[in-house]
Amino acid sequence: MATIRVPSALRLLTANQADVEVDAPTVRAALAALDQKHPGIAKKVLDGDAVKPFIRIYVGPDDIEALQGLDTPVTTRDEIAIIPALAGGR
Amino acid sequence: MKATVVGAGGLGGPLALALGAAGVELVVVDPDLVEVSNLHRQIQFTAGDVGAAKATTLAARVVAAGGRAKGYKLRWVTEDADDLSADSDLIVEGSDDPATKFAVADWAVARSKPYVIAAALRFGGNILVGAPGTACYRCLFEEPAAADTCAAAGVLGPVVGAIGGAAAAFALAIARNGARGNLGTLYAFDDLRSSPDPRIVRFSPRADCTACAQRKAS
Repeated sequence: MATIRVPSALRLLTANQADVEVDAPTVRAALAALDQKHPGIAKKVLDGDAVKPFIRIYVGPDDIEALQGLDTPVTTRDEIAIIPALAGGR
Repeated sequence: MKATVVGAGGLGGPLALALGAAGVELVVVDPDLVEVSNLHRQIQFTAGDVGAAKATTLAARVVAAGGRAKGYKLRWVTEDADDLSADSDLIVEGSDDPATKFAVADWAVARSKPYVIAAALRFGGNILVGAPGTACYRCLFEEPAAADTCAAAGVLGPVVGAIGGAAAAFALAIARNGARGNLGTLYAFDDLRSSPDPRIVRFSPRADCTACAQRKAS
């Protein structure tokens, strides 16, 4: 199973679970599986069929933009990291 | 060496105190007043500061510690940026406003100044270290969007101190030697309760980045 690394900023949606294992062949399918387990999180990451512009997704060390986007294949050993722009700090 | 610190709150406090103590002359910009609810994380302020302007109060703390600083109670916007920051050698951003982060980064790219953008939320934070000629904040995150803020999602008090301190270290590295190895890099601290180690994200310039295109055109 691939592991999705959920950033702390989004963990309110995963009951504070940092790592969620999913069985999926692509990043798109992995996010769908994540949303099935934790409804609502896909809306935070995706805008329709695209990744929201202020969010980056990495498979291992690579930005999926430099791979095949949401169709990037994932294997059972891959870590998918969601990295959002943050705004807090005041 | 002179720097602008945008934001005088949880991140701006440690940033300004550290940079000021290191001998960097500061311009501190923030439109807000100190509130009681700030005190658990904005430890540069005391209960006696409630109701005072954050920018001028923080600047006074820097001066009291032996540094040089001037505070301005206003929001940093592009229209005033040249008046406030043109003579700064670098600009460091620690506000809670996505649009301000993009505005600071875009202005820094346009004016060929190095910059640090910091943010903290819940248990972690991000720090982006940028400079002309490297991939910029907009290359990575493209455009501002409604994002969770500390007021909505919360932040653990010490997290802003840790992220602000780390951002100050990167800013000082820029001030001292240019910090070549850090430029064009995002440091994503996920959960400081479990690990202080950031994920280091090195990214490339985006071909359709409007900020980079404007710099090349000017």
